[in-house]
Amino acid sequence: MEKIINSKILKEHFSKSIDVVIRPIKITQNNITVHIFGVDGLINTELFDRAILQSFKFDKNLNDCRTERAMMDYLLSGGAYHVFTKEETDMDLLLRYVLSGMIGIIFDQEKKAIIYDIRSFEKRSISEPAEEGVLKGAKDSFIEVMRINTALIRRRIRSEYLVVESLNVGRVSKTDMSLVYISNIANMDTVNKIRDKINSIDIDNISTPAFIEEYLIENKKSLFPQIMYTQRPDRVAANLSDGRIALVVDGIPFVYLLPCQLPMLMQSPEDYANHFLIGSSLRVIRYLSMVVTLFLPAFYIAATTYQNQMLPVELALSTQAAKQNVPFSSAAEVLGLLISFEILIEAGLRLPKTVGTAMSILGGLVVGQSAVSAKLVSPAVVVIIAIAGISGFIMPNQDLSSAIRVYRFILSVLAAVGGFFGLAVGLILLIVHLCSLDNYGVAYLSPFVDVDESNHRDTLMRFPIKYFTKRPQKIVPKNRIKQK
Amino acid sequence: MKKIILLLLFIPLVLWGCSHDMNRRELDEISLIQVLGIDYSSEGYTLSGLYKSGGGTDSEAGGDSSSEEVVQGTGKTPYEAYEDLKHKHKKNLSIAHVGYLLIGEEAAKNGLNLCLDFLSRDETVKMELLIYVTRNSDALDFIKNGIEDKKTIQEDLEAISQKQQEFLTRNDNTLVSILNDMKRSQSSILIPYLLSEESGFLIEGYTVFDRLKLKDYLDRETSWGINFIKDIVRSFPIYLDNGVGLSLSYSKAKLKSHLENKQIKVTIKLDFETLIKEVNTNADIFSKEGLILLSEEQNKYITKLLEKPVNYSLATGLDILQLARLVENQHHKKWKDFEENWPEYLYDVQYEFDVHSKVSKSFIMGNER
Repeated sequence: MEKIINSKILKEHFSKSIDVVIRPIKITQNNITVHIFGVDGLINTELFDRAILQSFKFDKNLNDCRTERAMMDYLLSGGAYHVFTKEETDMDLLLRYVLSGMIGIIFDQEKKAIIYDIRSFEKRSISEPAEEGVLKGAKDSFIEVMRINTALIRRRIRSEYLVVESLNVGRVSKTDMSLVYISNIANMDTVNKIRDKINSIDIDNISTPAFIEEYLIENKKSLFPQIMYTQRPDRVAANLSDGRIALVVDGIPFVYLLPCQLPMLMQSPEDYANHFLIGSSLRVIRYLSMVVTLFLPAFYIAATTYQNQMLPVELALSTQAAKQNVPFSSAAEVLGLLISFEILIEAGLRLPKTVGTAMSILGGLVVGQSAVSAKLVSPAVVVIIAIAGISGFIMPNQDLSSAIRVYRFILSVLAAVGGFFGLAVGLILLIVHLCSLDNYGVAYLSPFVDVDESNHRDTLMRFPIKYFTKRPQKIVPKNRIKQK
Repeated sequence: MKKIILLLLFIPLVLWGCSHDMNRRELDEISLIQVLGIDYSSEGYTLSGLYKSGGGTDSEAGGDSSSEEVVQGTGKTPYEAYEDLKHKHKKNLSIAHVGYLLIGEEAAKNGLNLCLDFLSRDETVKMELLIYVTRNSDALDFIKNGIEDKKTIQEDLEAISQKQQEFLTRNDNTLVSILNDMKRSQSSILIPYLLSEESGFLIEGYTVFDRLKLKDYLDRETSWGINFIKDIVRSFPIYLDNGVGLSLSYSKAKLKSHLENKQIKVTIKLDFETLIKEVNTNADIFSKEGLILLSEEQNKYITKLLEKPVNYSLATGLDILQLARLVENQHHKKWKDFEENWPEYLYDVQYEFDVHSKVSKSFIMGNER
């Protein structure tokens, strides 16, 4: 397509698209014809009629304009009132604006257009966050519209230093993104690095969140999430003031936060909504759950297959009694049930809610109970897998939960072939791997591995707010003081 | 990515290769011995292992369908007997869960070291397993009696160890403690002995081992005296002649040794507190004078207890109070002069008692009836 702004070229190009409207408006007195250019369904027609079209038909001053240039000057100086009004000479930008829902008035002779932002499309209303709900705290969450999401952040941070940079990715989808940071806090080297990474993305379409995530994370081979997402504007605001950088993507109902560290994924908004001792207790339980979900199945395999002396006598006897007449080895039982558990989760996600509940009862209770009665699995293994499964769901971040679930399999296999020795090898590999991860210059295990004591006040334990005096050193090298 | 896949394949393969040396056995393929008995006769050693067999908990019947069974092995040495035991049993045997080791009288007389050597070398054995000597009986008979008429010896032994914990602050008859004591040849080793009764077992006192061989059995009072001197008493009842019953709530013992020209002087300092539990007298024991009198009475009562092991030691020359350790720790340089002929010095040790006590609390009701 030719890169000149012209209604004929546009008409030819969009001749087969019925939703794209290119309609002439003749201004009778001066015999000038302009074209409106927009996408039906994305524009607010009522606003267009009232604010723009009425001016064209009934504004005497506009009718007095003898040339297209004079008309454009009049419109841009307030002839048609609207907040976002822009003259555009670039065909690509015109297309980007119009296809994102704005409307263009084409002036053929001038080869220019005036853009009005009268976007209005169907969108979900702001609701409670589905994944990060809290009893005590804000109930709003991000939706699929980027501008509303940036507005939700701006509402919480009224600083003049809050920057919302516009970016665009996707050769075909041309997805809008906003890079959000607080310019006098955030590390600008990290901001530049993230911006460069986003600008270097050369892909047709940003259809799922993974498309962005995979381009932004530093170690792509790692199972563990290196980018954090949240549905909560208050969480984004808190992290922005800690010096992190947010990425808002149009069409995705959550916001990414970078750089991301493991302890951050274990935090929940609830921690800060409660008394610090309650918050700390919840967090300790979460870390314990992580250990349980990761190691319990592997520990069971190792203890029942190799080093049974690790079990206390009573536990060994009851486990032994439970395993009587079960035809499979402990490893086969555990791995089989772990796979069944994943199948149940996957099936529950695909099915409608009502059927999903029935299926959970059928799969979890009926089949589980029958399998125990039929001596296909021992009750002890069912309990182990249930505890490990439930503990896994305590993780506030689902990506982390998934990573742990996968690593749980690896540890179980290692325990099956090498007992506690295998488990130790798996643990060492895990620690080495986590220690080697680096996220935009910040260690993944930071602040656990940091020397600065002030960084440790919001890790395993949540100190009272008055002790949060400094921002994380590795994320914000300068301007670290949060409160005195 | 290739490296990761190779690593993920390589590690399990290496581990799998090694697993043949790691004694891979499913838990249900093993009989877990919980109580082990060692006996000795002219033919050699007999090892008896008690384990639970059967299906364990039967969910439909709602009860425990397992039963306790005894397996035996014989051999010239305890290890040979253990191997024979394993050989005879249809399933794999594990001594990793042995909680109690019963040493028969004859085996104890033949040498404690012979009984414990093979156990101390097994890496799976729990070092906290409790050791008892079966007085006037073989361990096998003890075990068999214990499981007669649906009785469970395991529960009886558990009850005994719980009772020990109720009265004492620690159990010194664990494998690790005994092995430690065995390193010091100058001192006698003390292991509690069990008596068989109709209703179960009874722990009465200590067995004294001299040079690792059973020498004597101490009566209850002498054994309690030792417990006081070892400073391991948690609770102890005191019955005074004036009809007052007390319960010890706190005790602290300290031993101090002085060496003067090859003469050993030992001061046993004991502080303790008691609570009044029973008053069967009309005398005013709650007045200041009455309480002082009560303290003096209980001091005498405890001193008498302390004198028993002391007198035993002086009479037999056996170091049942572990004085060798005391002297070595407190007079490290001079210890070498005593080390060689240590038993000879024990006959001449001068003991001094310094007992203080306090009667505390529990006066609320007074003695008005």
